Amino acid sequence: MLTLRIMARLMGYPDEELYRSLPELTSLLNEEAALPPDSREWLEAWVAELCETPLMQLQQEYVSLFDRGRHLSLHLFEHVHGESRDRGQAMVDLIDYYRSRGLELNAHELPDYLPLFLEFLSTVDDPREIHAMLTDAMPVIVLLGARLREKRSGYALLFQALEALGGSCEEAETLRKQAASEEPDETLEKMDEIWEEEQVTFLGNPGPEGSGCGSEPARPPETPVQWLDNNQARAAGKG
Amino acid sequence: MSHFLDRLQFFRRDTEEFSDDHGVATDESRKWEAAYRQRWQHDRIVRSTHGVNCTGSCSWKIYVKNGLVTWETQQTDYPRTRPGMPNHEPRGCARGASYSWYIYSANRVKYPMIRGRLVELWREARKEHDDPVTAWQSIVEDEQKARSYKSRRGLGGFVRADWREVNEIIAAANVYTARDWGPDRIIGFSPIPAMSMVSYAAGTRYLSLIGGTCMSFYDWYCDLPPASPQTWGEQTDVPESADWFNSTFLMMWGSNVPQTRTPDAHYMTEARYRGTKTVTVTPDYSEASKFGDIWLNPKQGTDSALAMALGHVILKEWHVEGRSEYFDNYVRQYTDLPCLVLLDQQDGQAVPGRYLRASDLSENMGQENNPEWKTLVRDETTDDIVVPRGSIGFRWGEKEHHWNLESLDARGREVRPRLTEIESSEDVMPVAFPYFGGGGNAHWSHTDHDAVQRRNVPVRRIRLADGSEATVATVFDLMVANYGIDRGLGGGNVAASYDDDVPYTPAWQEVITGVPREKVITVARQFAENAHKTQGKSMIIIGAAMNHWYHMDMNYRGVIKMLMMCGCIGVSGGGWAHYVGQEKLRPQSGWTPLAFALDWARPPRQMNSTSFFYNHTSQWRHEKLQVSEVLSPLTKPEDFQGHMIDFNVRAERMGWLPSAPQLNRNPLSIGREAATAGMDPKEYVVEQLKNGNIAFASEDPDHPANFPRNMFVWRSNLLGSSGKGHEYFLKYLLGTENGLQNKDLGDETDLHPQEVKWRDAATGKLDLLTTLDFRMSTTCMYSDIVLPTATWYEKNDLNTSDMHPFIHPLTAAVDPAWESRSDWDIYKGIARTFSQLCPGHLGRETDVVTVPLMHDSPAELAQALDVADWKKGECEPVPGKTMPGLVAIERDYPATYERFTALGPLMASAGNMGKGMQWDTKEEVEALGDLNGRQEKGSAKGQPKIETAIDAAETILMLAPETNGRVAMKAWQALEKNSGREHAHLVAGHAAEKLRFRDLVAQPRKIYSSPIWSGIESEKVSYNAGWTNINELIPWRTLTGRQQFYQDHKWMRAFGEQLCVYKPPVDLKTIDPMKGTRSNGNTEIVLNFITPHQKWGIHSTYTDNLLMLTLSRGGPIVWISEKDAARAGIVDNDWIEAFNINGAITARAVVSQRVPEGMSMMYHAQEKIVNTPGSEITGNRGGIHNSVTRTVLKPTHMIGGYAQQSYFFNYHGTVGANRDEFIIVRKMDKVDWMDGEASGDAMQVEGV
Repeated sequence: MLTLRIMARLMGYPDEELYRSLPELTSLLNEEAALPPDSREWLEAWVAELCETPLMQLQQEYVSLFDRGRHLSLHLFEHVHGESRDRGQAMVDLIDYYRSRGLELNAHELPDYLPLFLEFLSTVDDPREIHAMLTDAMPVIVLLGARLREKRSGYALLFQALEALGGSCEEAETLRKQAASEEPDETLEKMDEIWEEEQVTFLGNPGPEGSGCGSEPARPPETPVQWLDNNQARAAGKG
Repeated sequence: MSHFLDRLQFFRRDTEEFSDDHGVATDESRKWEAAYRQRWQHDRIVRSTHGVNCTGSCSWKIYVKNGLVTWETQQTDYPRTRPGMPNHEPRGCARGASYSWYIYSANRVKYPMIRGRLVELWREARKEHDDPVTAWQSIVEDEQKARSYKSRRGLGGFVRADWREVNEIIAAANVYTARDWGPDRIIGFSPIPAMSMVSYAAGTRYLSLIGGTCMSFYDWYCDLPPASPQTWGEQTDVPESADWFNSTFLMMWGSNVPQTRTPDAHYMTEARYRGTKTVTVTPDYSEASKFGDIWLNPKQGTDSALAMALGHVILKEWHVEGRSEYFDNYVRQYTDLPCLVLLDQQDGQAVPGRYLRASDLSENMGQENNPEWKTLVRDETTDDIVVPRGSIGFRWGEKEHHWNLESLDARGREVRPRLTEIESSEDVMPVAFPYFGGGGNAHWSHTDHDAVQRRNVPVRRIRLADGSEATVATVFDLMVANYGIDRGLGGGNVAASYDDDVPYTPAWQEVITGVPREKVITVARQFAENAHKTQGKSMIIIGAAMNHWYHMDMNYRGVIKMLMMCGCIGVSGGGWAHYVGQEKLRPQSGWTPLAFALDWARPPRQMNSTSFFYNHTSQWRHEKLQVSEVLSPLTKPEDFQGHMIDFNVRAERMGWLPSAPQLNRNPLSIGREAATAGMDPKEYVVEQLKNGNIAFASEDPDHPANFPRNMFVWRSNLLGSSGKGHEYFLKYLLGTENGLQNKDLGDETDLHPQEVKWRDAATGKLDLLTTLDFRMSTTCMYSDIVLPTATWYEKNDLNTSDMHPFIHPLTAAVDPAWESRSDWDIYKGIARTFSQLCPGHLGRETDVVTVPLMHDSPAELAQALDVADWKKGECEPVPGKTMPGLVAIERDYPATYERFTALGPLMASAGNMGKGMQWDTKEEVEALGDLNGRQEKGSAKGQPKIETAIDAAETILMLAPETNGRVAMKAWQALEKNSGREHAHLVAGHAAEKLRFRDLVAQPRKIYSSPIWSGIESEKVSYNAGWTNINELIPWRTLTGRQQFYQDHKWMRAFGEQLCVYKPPVDLKTIDPMKGTRSNGNTEIVLNFITPHQKWGIHSTYTDNLLMLTLSRGGPIVWISEKDAARAGIVDNDWIEAFNINGAITARAVVSQRVPEGMSMMYHAQEKIVNTPGSEITGNRGGIHNSVTRTVLKPTHMIGGYAQQSYFFNYHGTVGANRDEFIIVRKMDKVDWMDGEASGDAMQVEGV
């Protein structure tokens, strides 16, 4: 789906090549018409605005949005695994998944970089697979979109369009509320919450206070948002 | 249904129950286990470490899977210690274990970054000018253009750039600066080579090839204890941590061992299991305190008072009234206690003067060579004054080689130096000693003893060469008097009892330190008794905490004296264990040629950073501390007039300290002018200095000709961590937004300097600030260009520490991520572009370099008896004698890249050197050529290649005595030529061995014993400093050749530091102008500001890591006591502001009973990019810990050309003290996160 590749490009760093190609990109979006009309309209208006803005300004804005800090990182696992050691394995699995589809990474970039992920999806033929993958990533996409909207950044439109394309997720409203209420000092307030260990349960049943360990080892909630089913990926890899 | 039908006849169910139905066998999928199996699968394990200025220097396993780093674990394969001792591992801590996060974190610098405004100007200029150098010139010479990007520093606005473009900008700036202003205006700051020595060398090699200035760090960090060079002529040499285990009485004094020496702390606890007594000395209830069998908690900053009282007890009980044969022999042979000192008559009273020298007596005591540098003792057997071997006069220019500590005099006669004249004195006379405990900062308790303490000393009269009579005393007798010990000689100011209120008794110190006298007496007695019984196995682990006070020398000398009195220095299990960072670069003399390009030209330009930053960040313009406040009461203030910076300028002129920029003219122009005038450059400069056409740059720092113009920062967070006087940096050096809260001395003309021209303050002196880092640090935020470096898992390098005897590598587990490159490749790339841009601007040039009078060179014998300033007409300017040496160096600028990537011809033709020893190195150059290959073309044709970081590492390993047994043999043999003794046996067994990079990758390797260090690597004894001095009779590199209790330089005497005394903290006057003037309605309290090392980071690294933030409080914190908090209405976790006239900090309060009243602690180096709200005082974002500090110099650290008090890079010089500082603390009224558009400083990293 070319639309996904266009969105990948628009989400990337605005270099001169992208800047020159902007008008072409919107016309292609309209041609393919994979996005709902209102999404396309908004994007077209935003891209027109980009064309009017000096490139240097776009670059400065982009860097200040995406190149610093975790808050708006375009690396999906930053939001899923953060500093957990699971992140390395998750990236390894994702590279394997791309390989299973005949694609090797060919850039100095990590596999969970959102524009890279979208480019990958643009090569996938099966719409059900695209949908499934997007659905997995949707909570991160919704959260980033909401945060960008809080900052009144036009980049929010890209994420809204992805939401429209892939179908939103059930946590969407909660995530939007979270983004709206976030303050820079969130860390302290949320620290306990972020690092709180889930209660240990036995065979999925909530046990009495302080009951012992079950067959599933207790896992800290390192993956509050699961956007990729590892088992599914591996199964796909075998096929 | 009946059982008959219920039961299957031909099948069995595949679930089978057993154990009375308690168990059931199933055949469900066990695929879920794969997740756990895979969790620990990996493609390979790579050895690396964390290059983070942590003494730990632990080796780690880095796990790689699919080309990605997945996690790390501790290595366990360190070579074993010997039987009976615990092993080195386990080593590693939570900080290192969290490192892999950085590699893929959102805070990683992924691309070369440049400020948008600058790159806009650049691209416009490049359109107009085809030549990049001209383009750069067109920007920086246009005041408005220059201002427009400089004033945006620290305010965000970065864009990505590509390597080609940033290299071109940097190279163009460097070419322009070297051509128009001088190569010494290009400055580089990078600390602690030991943590990644190839990466350090990359930058300094480039700078040294073009004539740029390499900045020191150890002194600037204030981790250099000047007491060490003063006492031993040694920067810092300490026992490895394993030797703690061999101690039987272990003191931890101002060192928080479990918190800041985490991987080594096990030796301390293991020693306790073995029965070692431990004593902790810390003002706060630190993590180390609980390990002490006894905890002493002196008020912060009063450690020297405590040390003096401990010394009082030890000296009295073991040297004056009691005796220990071991102590007695030790101090006679290895210390200056028997040396004779002249007593000067001054205003009718005797004061301790300089050491008596051979030149003072008739016919120079028969000494033709350096008689002014040979100190004297009196032989107990003959009662004659004799010239004992080993003083520094024996070190240089001697025909017969007697530079050793044998108990012989110059003529080979047996000598037993006499310690005291108490039995043989001709007279007892009162000698005046200064007492400082009655003044200083009002926040400390003072006593009302007289500022001049006259105490009786036994003396002898002697006839000098000029026929006059002089009075002399031994250092021992002076020292006993200085400690105020009653020896029955009559007179006042001495104590017969420990309860007497006389300096320096245990009772006296009680008032100042708050420590009960009984505890002091107990510790002193046990410390000495243990040393007596074990022959020196009492050890003091000491942290930089005590070294960061203005009068750090007194704290340190007080402690060192205890150790020397008890014969602990140079003894395994004993001694002075000062740990402050990875200052021990084991293969130093193999590394120096690579790092400072000594293979192509000598000498390099090196600068002491404290003086540099004091000058060029204009902190001197705000100086509130006057020299008269720190002078001895026995010194006439009119003899020591001027501003602190005047003293520094005089020191530079007299060749004591280095200068950067050096002269007030471009040294390349000077080279050309000398050629035109047909004069030797040296003579030309002297002539021009005399007629005033050339002056030192430091005499007019606000003149544009004297600005440092380009600066590189790498492996460092200069502005987020170590930059004392942070706000002054921002205002003057960078020319950007700052929180400075005071005006300079503009109107107070009587306080202006005498040697330095006062002009309107220059701001924004730097044209280009380039920082290399892997994370977006505070320094990066203020830089014009940020270059993404490889992390410690993405590059090849070497690592050593003083804590363990190994050298081990960093290796590239994976390729550098995104656009990052290793430091080696980055500087190589800059060198290449620089060379390409040279034609038309720089060719072959003569660069005139000024060199201070260097330690470990004959120049350390420059100024023997007095101080004379040629500029004042007190002497002639003689390069290398009364002023800095002058050397004309031929540079070939277009060949910079070819020289960078090849080992130059000087190694074969001039050999290698280290600490005053020189040896031939032709074989090694050949071997390196065979190993690395040789350049096939260009100006370095035939020279060994140094193309890659591994080539560079091999160069270090091949050339260093510590890693090449053959070289070690040569180095020891070089020393033998001077000492006249045989030493090579120490390494003979390793003569055929050498270490190569891949050997280290296989396993960390113990280095070989080398004369560069004063201990040995052995199977029989753990490394301890001073071991070879004691056992091989190698002199200390001091004036007397012995460990010096006494300091006799004129300036040391002027400031009353001949012997150790208690000096209270100084008053920096930063509070009164601010207190109560900017009220926010909350109560303001005034607290002393202490900045110790933290638990959840190593300096600023790891402090932005969520794992570490989570374990701490998630942002900047300041610890205060419960009582102070109650006074100010502050409760735990409140947002508070700390400020003074230097600037302001915002942080959360940690209210804790750990902290004593009146003191606050802010763990040093918490980044302002992490959860730091706006300041109510400055209106900007809150600063870093150094926002409330300012550098203050101490003149005694400027002394030069005087034996051990001679300059050497990171060895001696001014240090950046900051613990005498005070802050006003109050609860914040409003917390403003400054995340709106208006603030625009872009500092805050969101979601950290």
